[in-house]
Amino acid sequence: MFQLSIIKDTVAVHPSNFGLPPEHAVTNELNKKYANRVLHDVGLCVCVFDLSEVGEGKVRYGDGFLWYKVIFRLVVFRPFASEVLLAKVKSSDEDGIRLTLGFFDDVHVPQMFLPEPCAFDPNERAFFWLPNSEATSTHDMLDSPLTDRMYIDTGEVVRVRVEHDEFNDDEPGPPKASEGVQQQRERRRPPYTITCSIAEQGLGPTAWWQNAGVEAMDEG
Amino acid sequence: MEVINQRAALLSNYEVLSLLRELESDHLARTKTALRIKKEEEQAGTKTHAPQEEICENLRTIEVEAIQYLSADFQPTASQSEAGIAQLTKSLSAYELTKAEKLQIVNLAPTEPVELYVIVEELEDRFGERMDDILSLVKSSLSEPTIPAANGTAVDDIQLQYPSEEAHVYQEEATWEDYQVNEVVFDDTGEGAGVEGDLDADDDGE
Repeated sequence: MFQLSIIKDTVAVHPSNFGLPPEHAVTNELNKKYANRVLHDVGLCVCVFDLSEVGEGKVRYGDGFLWYKVIFRLVVFRPFASEVLLAKVKSSDEDGIRLTLGFFDDVHVPQMFLPEPCAFDPNERAFFWLPNSEATSTHDMLDSPLTDRMYIDTGEVVRVRVEHDEFNDDEPGPPKASEGVQQQRERRRPPYTITCSIAEQGLGPTAWWQNAGVEAMDEG
Repeated sequence: MEVINQRAALLSNYEVLSLLRELESDHLARTKTALRIKKEEEQAGTKTHAPQEEICENLRTIEVEAIQYLSADFQPTASQSEAGIAQLTKSLSAYELTKAEKLQIVNLAPTEPVELYVIVEELEDRFGERMDDILSLVKSSLSEPTIPAANGTAVDDIQLQYPSEEAHVYQEEATWEDYQVNEVVFDDTGEGAGVEGDLDADDDGE
């Protein structure tokens, strides 16, 4: 789930921080720059793990900052493909389920990765799974008795498998103005999204599997 | 900025949680000293300009949220201990598990066969009956979850009641130092190069 990435960068330390030990000041600057940000093709940065190599602080012409060349290790959130995660259901709609890890919200389970047969109940705003059912059409499934349905409710803890992740680097671009009025910008894609699956035995709300033995697995 | 190595090592949830907790206690200690210095200055009526570290909002946000997630009651971290994890990885090396599988066993601490099925591919063909041994190894690595959890809340209470009490913070720091001495970087167990080795290799390459 978490990994260490080695990164090389140049950071500037403001003169007001010269009183601090240099390694402290540099770590602060790096945390300020990277913490809680998505680094393209690397992942969501959490915090600096340690500094591996710090060059001599140099003053450049034009400002009073000390510039350090640093090589450091960063704790990064980047689950690998096929990793199993625990997450909470944030919301459900017709397209799929949105999950949250608390510090990271762009986790999706599209409908094609839900266990079969599965349908969305518009009244409950939640998906449900009909184990051992022959129903194929959504209509048939919505006619099923409520007691057979296994709902994936909001707030439930689910076990999911990471299928793939995607980075989007959308340039904001120049503001579009027509007739002198600034246009509303369209919603940007999140910079980092993870697509997960629960279409497998053992995945899904943890409560489904708590007392299931190996026998249940074999049936499925 | 340049990414030298995108994935130099994998970290277990427990390691990340300890690191974040250390940052958190550091932060608490710092705000406390800052407050105390401010108070003393007010009493003395003097003004010195001690260096003030600014608080990084982004870091605080992810720190608090990630600690919440990693120590949530559905995670096994409450009942895990550093010695337990070290013991577990050592005993797991007897089985032909991949690095990713071992990491997930440490992170999720499966105690039911169903949970292990999800983590390990083709579990039955590869391990058959030995699967139960793995599960019992995991179980033995977990301590009673109630003890650390109760400790945690007790410590929090103390903090709330006596905000000026700093003993707790020092204690935490001491345990962290212990941790570093016996540090278990997950990557170092099993096949091949350790973290430091990887870093050296990179340096040579340049």
